[in-house]
Amino acid sequence: MNSHDQYREQIEAYAIGSLDDPDRALIEAHLASGCADCAKALEEARWLVSQLAYLAPDAAPSDMLKGRLLRTVRAEAPAVPERQSPVRAATVPWWLWAGVAALLLFSVYSAWNEQRLRSAVADLEQQAETQRAERQKLEQALVAAKLQAHEAMIWSDPKSVKIMLPAKDPKMPQLEAMWHPEMGICVRGWKVPTLGDKRVLQLWLIPKKAGSKPMPLVTFWPDASGTFSAMVENPPDAMSETQALAVTEEPIGGSEQPTGAPMWVGGLS
Amino acid sequence: MFLAAFPPKGSEQVSPDATLMQQLLRRDVGAFEELYERHSRIVYSLVLRILRQGPTAEEVVQDVFLQLWRNSSQYDVRRPLVPWLLTLARNRALDHLRLKSERQRRREEQTEEFPQIAAAAPEYERALDEKRRAERVRALIGSLPAAQKKAIELAYFEGLSHSEIAASLHEPLGTVKSWIRNGLLRLKEGLQASS
Repeated sequence: MNSHDQYREQIEAYAIGSLDDPDRALIEAHLASGCADCAKALEEARWLVSQLAYLAPDAAPSDMLKGRLLRTVRAEAPAVPERQSPVRAATVPWWLWAGVAALLLFSVYSAWNEQRLRSAVADLEQQAETQRAERQKLEQALVAAKLQAHEAMIWSDPKSVKIMLPAKDPKMPQLEAMWHPEMGICVRGWKVPTLGDKRVLQLWLIPKKAGSKPMPLVTFWPDASGTFSAMVENPPDAMSETQALAVTEEPIGGSEQPTGAPMWVGGLS
Repeated sequence: MFLAAFPPKGSEQVSPDATLMQQLLRRDVGAFEELYERHSRIVYSLVLRILRQGPTAEEVVQDVFLQLWRNSSQYDVRRPLVPWLLTLARNRALDHLRLKSERQRRREEQTEEFPQIAAAAPEYERALDEKRRAERVRALIGSLPAAQKKAIELAYFEGLSHSEIAASLHEPLGTVKSWIRNGLLRLKEGLQASS
């Protein structure tokens, strides 16, 4: 197989975007060299990949979205150009000229009025857009505050059970978790080293039942200072059925099963 | 050859989308509304599947249709509209989904482009209407083994790379590469056979 065939075999993966960086760089260089065969194959592969959208469950956007879009588009659309009259001057009686003049005046007034209204509408839409952005910001702040309050309740409620998660590596800090039977699980840590590119931490439930697999929970990552806090509102299993909590490092997006040994483990007494 | 199954160019008819896009070039709001009515549902379904959050998905759909309105002059009306809309919507949604990374920055650079998509595709789109084509795509991908289907979904809806999918599914890298390529080739052959 020559090198061209090797590139051709990767066109579908390039179109879907799944090639890893080195392979992607090689095929981009090959396409940049002007290979018409591969360029054509890529166009076809892009069309094919786009068809995967039909795997998505059917859903309809809200009517509000259409309304917002049409308001924006109408405000940006040019005014409809006026048409010239096909009637020749020589055949036009005076009263028709008067009518045309009146119509012209009315058109000028309408255009001016329309421009004025369009400007007013644009101003109102700008105001509405600003208010929408502010409301969205407030809603986000409200959600964040609710989550923070929920988390604070888990940490302070006497029904919560505290679970310490010592690190397997003695140089790493210990994590702590709190499990409330109704409100969920919180986990937090400080001075946790920065993770590699495209890596996250993931929390797991280790069931008591022999032979059961770890259950994947939330993924998270420390900030620049090494601090993080994460919460699971609805754990998939009860505290009484759980032997321990564990934390592993996983690829971004998390994993269905741990890909490495746990870095932190805390047993439930 | 994939496109050999399509009718020759001489039999081409102007698709409704191409007519509407020509009207859109003249800044016709009615044409925009008609295009939105025809395609917003599949665009929204795709974006919602990727982001799983209705309000964010609607923002992305709004961006996509505004780009169609504002940059219609850059669009080649001979090329099929829906695959272009879906490609743009997927790129925008994945940008929202992923953290800032090299992969994402590259995608952002590509987002503003009008990706070149096979011009012969409209012939195919006439051969199978959208509803039947959607059913065929679901049936063909649904007939794949579960792990192979999952690998394709992780690549398309989550934007993961071969090595990320291999780590996620605990499968060898070579297996994942074969699954994705062979799965797409099977889809291609299946759609070709239906036309």
